[in-house]
Amino acid sequence: MFFRLLWESFRRQRRRKALAGLAILLGTTAVTAMLALATTVGDRIHKELAVYGANIVITPKADLLDVKIGGVDIKPSTGGAYLKASDLPKLKSIFWANNITGVSPELPISLKLADGQQIQATGLWFHHKLANGESSITTGAPVMHPWWKLTGAWPATPGEAVAGAATGLHIGDSLQTGDTTLKITGLVSTGDAMDKRVLLPLETAQRLANLPDAVSRVDVSARTKPEDAFARKDPDTLSPQQHEIWYCRPYANSIAYQIREAIPGAQADQVRRVEQNEGNVLERISGLMWLISAAALLAAGFAVSAAMATAILERQREIGLMRSLGASKGAIAFLFYAETGLLAVFAGAVGYLLGSGLAAWLGASIFAGDGAASVGPVLIPVLLPVVVALALAVAIAGSTPSIRTALEMDPSTILRADA
Amino acid sequence: MTHRTTHKPQLSFIGMLRRSLVHRRARSFSALVALTVSAAVVTALLTLYADLNAKLHKEFRNFGANVVVTVPASSGTGVALPPGTLAAVQKAAGPDALVAPFAYAVATTDRGTSVVVAGTDFAAVRRLDSWWQLPQWPTAPNAALLGERAANFVADEHAVELTYAGKAVTLAGAGRLKTGGDEDSRIYIPLAAFTQWTGIGPTVIEVQIPGGAAAVEAALTRLRSQFPALQIQPVRQLVEGESRIVDRTHSLMYGAVLLIALTVAVSVLATLSASVLERRRDFALMKALGGSQTQLMAMFLLEALAIAIAGVVLGYVAGSAAAWAISQVNFHTATLPRLSVLPLVLLLNVAIAALAALFPVRVLRGLQPSALLKGE
Repeated sequence: MFFRLLWESFRRQRRRKALAGLAILLGTTAVTAMLALATTVGDRIHKELAVYGANIVITPKADLLDVKIGGVDIKPSTGGAYLKASDLPKLKSIFWANNITGVSPELPISLKLADGQQIQATGLWFHHKLANGESSITTGAPVMHPWWKLTGAWPATPGEAVAGAATGLHIGDSLQTGDTTLKITGLVSTGDAMDKRVLLPLETAQRLANLPDAVSRVDVSARTKPEDAFARKDPDTLSPQQHEIWYCRPYANSIAYQIREAIPGAQADQVRRVEQNEGNVLERISGLMWLISAAALLAAGFAVSAAMATAILERQREIGLMRSLGASKGAIAFLFYAETGLLAVFAGAVGYLLGSGLAAWLGASIFAGDGAASVGPVLIPVLLPVVVALALAVAIAGSTPSIRTALEMDPSTILRADA
Repeated sequence: MTHRTTHKPQLSFIGMLRRSLVHRRARSFSALVALTVSAAVVTALLTLYADLNAKLHKEFRNFGANVVVTVPASSGTGVALPPGTLAAVQKAAGPDALVAPFAYAVATTDRGTSVVVAGTDFAAVRRLDSWWQLPQWPTAPNAALLGERAANFVADEHAVELTYAGKAVTLAGAGRLKTGGDEDSRIYIPLAAFTQWTGIGPTVIEVQIPGGAAAVEAALTRLRSQFPALQIQPVRQLVEGESRIVDRTHSLMYGAVLLIALTVAVSVLATLSASVLERRRDFALMKALGGSQTQLMAMFLLEALAIAIAGVVLGYVAGSAAAWAISQVNFHTATLPRLSVLPLVLLLNVAIAALAALFPVRVLRGLQPSALLKGE
């Protein structure tokens, strides 16, 4: 009998059900889309923030003091300490290895050309595969410096190089240095002191400078958690438990600490200009999205509650009839709640699908051009139970006052008043 | 006679409107709640949206200088910027821009190591480079701020002895500076002390121009035409990054505003039109008593509009409060209510209400009053 009532109610009152269902559907669509955007906005904005370059820099501990003004080395150090390029795969073995999204080592050298001229050059990775066991990334200077503008192609073989825009070299030129000929395959404009240099593969630079395996500095881009008071603590003064917690949080400081542990003789520091401000921007933008999601949730909640309240209010007469035919208050309430629940679950699930699709589409069209597909799957399974539970709770909360009012009224009054 | 026929319906019309609103209190109230929510949400989102660019650009100011003014290398070493350039740059860049002068020299520390010494205005740098980590900003006229790395090459960090071109100077160490950048390998001292010691004037002015790529571009054009002899370069990654991120956040917010406003509008519309449809019986009764179709529609419409306007008033207040709270929590600055969003909110709410009242017209028009009143 109960199921038949339930079934008939859906079959006969299609318009009413459709309206209440529509309200729930739209509400869950909006909430799902906002929550899905809010959970992924951190990743997306982090990718955008990569424009600012490295947030951690590794230098040899025993290095001499740089004498640099405006990016130009006044007294290029001779000798000095170097890091080992062969140590770099260890970066992918630290605790937060997966948070390291870019690595760019460099080795500045001075090339003596066949015609006696000196030209400054820098050895770099262009598209280098950095792997350690399972995890691997393809990285290098171009991805770490998205603001570099290249005409031509990045070097693909050890005998190729690209020239800075201010060097006066052209694509197709050849540089003869010692027994090596470097073919210029591209021109790069960096907007800084790099424009006056030749950029060549790291291995070639090491060979030309006779510094096997050497790098003088490594830029690292890592996904970090914005710094808080705890992050600023000196790990060596913390208690073992606290140290563990500090170590296992992706602060720039902890990642730098782990890099120092992994690479002997390395000094790793956060680049404060980038790190401090990136954290702030990231926090503000994702905070804004979360707060707007909360507002959306609240608004959708109100809209759904109002829709449910109206839907029940309209059925006072039905309630009166059922009461007069001898149905108990409990049975009627149960029937109405069952209807509401069924509606909420169905409309909520459909809304979840629509919302996920909408969020993926919005995200992809706003953040077009930076591999939106890599941000993650379209469906976020965790959201399904959350959204359906919310829809259920809001729908039940919205219909409760109306059901109660209807049940408390005298059936004869309802029936007569409407007649 | 004519007097009576023109007056009587009008009186009863307003009376009916009032009665309809008061009598069906529960239904009027739920419609009011729905319309208040839609107005509040739209107000809050539009207020935040209108303020978003200013708020984001303010965050990006913390990244520091986005334009660098230098003496071109071609004019020879040791040539300083002409006196008065700093003030002129500030004037050309606008009153909101931050400017800081820098002068550089390579000196020798007491350990015999070469080190870059920079003379600057600490008060200006403090505002420009807020990420510098140091115990406290120096105020003494002969203070020396030691970069983290440079400090390792200084024997006495309290009385810092530096030599430039045979001239020695002793400065009061003011602690260590940590940035993770080139600054770590330098020693910073006040510009006046620097010039007095080395005889070198400032060669670099770092400028922070607020407002994103377009503002920077405009300022660059102004500066370049005013100082043709100087090299004026944007810090490319900052300018590009700022515009990209602000633009994308802006679009994201725009998408969110549309999505939420649309959702709320449609579900409010659904609720309201359902409650109008429920009044078929009233409609039939009034029609049976001689009301014309137009009169009845006007009646429903006015009722909906009265609720919609009340909803806008309440919603505007609630929405402005919500925008203020969100902005206070997230950006730590207030967003004040904007009257400019009011017309749009009003338009949207009135449109929802009008649609909700008129949507059921087609259903109602086809009704036979007698059949409905009989209970069919």
